Amino acid sequence: MSVDSSVQGIFAAFEAAAENPLASSRAWKAANGTPVVGSFPMHFPGELAHAAGCLPVILQENHEPITVGHGMIYPFYCGYTRSVVDQACKGDFDFLDAIMFGDHCVQVLGAADVVRAKLPNTRVHFYQLISSMSDPWSHSRARETFAGLKEGLEEMIGRTIDNDAIRASIRLFNRNRQLLRKLYDMRRSGTSPLTARQMQLAVKSSMVMDKAAHSALLERLIERLEATAATRQRGVRVYLSGHFCQAPKLGILDLIESCGGIVVDDDLYHGQRYISTDVDDAGDPLDALAKWYLERNLKVPCPTRVDQNADWETYLLGAMAKSKADGMIVLMAKFCEPHMYYYPEIKEAFEAKDVPHLLIETEHETTALEGIRTRVEAFLEMVKRQTIAKAAAAARLETGVV
Amino acid sequence: MKPYVMGIDFGSTTSKTVILDMDGGTVASAVSHKGSVSDEGAKASIAEALAIAGITQKQVIRAISTGYGRRMLEVSDKSYTEITCHARGAIAMVPEARMVIDIGGQDSKVIAIDALGLVSQFAMNDRCAAGTGKFLEALARAVGVPLEDMGPMALRAVEDITISSMCATFAETEVVALLAEGKSKTEVLGAVHAAIAARLVGLVSRVGKREPLVMTGGVAQNPAAVHHLEKALGLKLIIPQRPQIAGALGAALIALDEAREHAADAADEDDKVDASLDAARCGTPTCTAPQARVTEQVIHGPRPH
Ligand code: SF4
Repeated sequence: MSVDSSVQGIFAAFEAAAENPLASSRAWKAANGTPVVGSFPMHFPGELAHAAGCLPVILQENHEPITVGHGMIYPFYCGYTRSVVDQACKGDFDFLDAIMFGDHCVQVLGAADVVRAKLPNTRVHFYQLISSMSDPWSHSRARETFAGLKEGLEEMIGRTIDNDAIRASIRLFNRNRQLLRKLYDMRRSGTSPLTARQMQLAVKSSMVMDKAAHSALLERLIERLEATAATRQRGVRVYLSGHFCQAPKLGILDLIESCGGIVVDDDLYHGQRYISTDVDDAGDPLDALAKWYLERNLKVPCPTRVDQNADWETYLLGAMAKSKADGMIVLMAKFCEPHMYYYPEIKEAFEAKDVPHLLIETEHETTALEGIRTRVEAFLEMVKRQTIAKAAAAARLETGVV
Repeated sequence: MKPYVMGIDFGSTTSKTVILDMDGGTVASAVSHKGSVSDEGAKASIAEALAIAGITQKQVIRAISTGYGRRMLEVSDKSYTEITCHARGAIAMVPEARMVIDIGGQDSKVIAIDALGLVSQFAMNDRCAAGTGKFLEALARAVGVPLEDMGPMALRAVEDITISSMCATFAETEVVALLAEGKSKTEVLGAVHAAIAARLVGLVSRVGKREPLVMTGGVAQNPAAVHHLEKALGLKLIIPQRPQIAGALGAALIALDEAREHAADAADEDDKVDASLDAARCGTPTCTAPQARVTEQVIHGPRPH
C-alpha cells in the first residue's frame, strides 16, 4: 500500500483502515497471505496472534443500521454487541480465520454466543480472564489464560510459537504504543493541534492494521508534525471519558470541538486505554503479558475489572489535573452495564470536588446530534464562565485585594 | 446617539426581545407569539422592542441571541445557549435563586446556580417533548381548550387521574380515551399538568433539588403547572414578574457585559479560557468590576455583603 506521506495523506490512510476495518484486513490477507484473527476489545493480547504469524484485528462496531441481527440479541444491549452480532449475521466475518472472545461483560457474552452460532465453520476460541485483579492468584490465573490462548493459536497454525517470536511481537507492539503515546503527549502539551477525530483514527487504525505498517506511518507523521510550527489552540480544555468497546462517533467528537472545546486527553478504549501500558520484552513472555494485564488496570482502571488498588474516579480527577482539563465529558454507551454501574461514583466524586462534567448517552442509532449540541454548548459556556470566575477569585487572593 | 444592548430569545413557539441601556436598565421588552419556523417572530419582537424604546437598530451596539433559533439571526453578534441566558436572567430577577426551572416550547431545563450566581449544573429533557410547552400545547388541542384557558381550568380538578405516557403523541391518545370514558375536561387537564410536573421532578433530581427555586419561561404563567410542580417538589416556586423574558434579559445582560469589556478587550470572539486575558470578565453576574473606571482598582466578584 503506498501512502501519500503528507500529514493529510497519513490520516487518510488511518481513516481508510479505521472506518473499513474488515475490508482493509481482508485486503491485507489477500496481499500477504496472513491469516486474520478477530477479537473482542479490551483485554486481548494481540502480540500472541501476531507471533503466530496472524493479523490480529479488534472487531469494531460499524455504522450500518442493525437489521438482520436485530432479532438475535436484546435491543437494550450496547451498540457494540448489537452491531457485532449484526455483522456476524450478515456474513461480514466469514473471511476471518479465527475469532478469540473474552468475556468482559454479560452483553459481550451474549454477543459471543450468537457469533459462535452464526459462524459454525470459523475457529472460535473462548477465554475467560480473571476479573479480580488484586488477589494473590490473579497473576498466575491470567498467565494460565494466556497460555490457553497461545495453545489455541498453535493448534490453528499447526506449530508451536516460540518465545523469541512473542518477544519480537511484544517489541513491535510496544513501539506502536509508544508512538501513539507520543502523539498524545504532543496534543496534551499543545505542541501539535491534533483533533479528537485524528486521535481516534490513529488509535483505531492501530487496532486493525498490521503494527509494523502502522508504526511506519506514525513515525512519518510525528516527523512531519514536529517539523510544523504549532499554532496555539484556544478553547475550553475537555477530557473525554467512557466508551469502552466502541469508538465514539466521529460526529460527536467534531461537535465537541466545533462548539469551542479542545479534547486534550481521554480514557477511551479507542484512546489512552488501548495504549497505556507496555509489555516487558525480556523473560517469560506469558509472565510479561499477565503482568501487563494487571498493570494496565492500574494505569487506566477498567470498570469491568475489580481491583482493590484502582479507583476510576480518583484516576479521572488526577488525569484531568495532569492534562489541565477544564471539564470532563462522559460518553456512555446505552446501556453499558459496567459503565452505568460506576457512573454514580464518578458523578459524586466530581461534584464533591466541584469539577464540572457532562454526561452524554450515546447509541448506535444516534444520527441527529442537534440535541447533544445544545447540551455541549451549554456545558462549555458553563465551564468557561466558571473557570474565569475561579481564576479571578484566585487572582484576588494572590494580590490580596478582597 | 445613546447606545443600547439587546437580547433576543428566539424560541420555538415565541420570540422575546429585551433592550437595556448601558446602566443595565430595561428600556423595552417585547414578546411575539411566532416561533422559529421562520425568523418573522424574532423580527416582530425586535421591531416592537425598538419601537417601545424609541430607538433604531443602529443604536444597539451589541446583540446576543439565545434559544432554539439562536444561530439563525443576522442581527446578533454572538449566541449563547438558553441554559446560560436563562440562568443569567433569572439571577437578575431573583438574585438569591439557587435553582431555575424553565419550561420552554421544545425543551425543559433545570439549572443549578452556585454562590457566585453561575451555572454549576444543568439537565435538559434529552429526546422528546415530554415535559415541555409543546406537550401542553398538543394536549390542550386534544382536549379542545385554548392554551391560555387550560391552566385556570385545570386548577379546578379534584380527581387523581394519571397520564402515564412520556410521549406527547401517546399521551394524546390517553387523553382522548379519558374523555371518551366520560372524564370531564377539567379533570383531564388536571392530569395533564400533573404529568408535566412528574417529568420535571425527574430532571430536578438529576441535578439535586436546591432552594430558592425560580421558575421562568412562558409555562410559569400557567397557574396549574406551577401548582402541580410545587406539589410534586414539596416547595414554593418563585415566579418573577415577567418569567417569559428571563432568557432575553439574560442575553441582554451578557451583551451588556461584553459591550462594557469591549473597550478593554476587543477579542470578543475569542473563546480562550485564560485568566490574565479574561480577568476583566469574571463572569459573576453581580461582579462590580465592569463599573470600575480605568484608573480604579478592579475588584471582581459579587459585592461584599
Ligand atoms: S463493556 Fe459495555 S460497551 Fe463493552 S460490550 Fe459490555 S456493555 Fe458493551
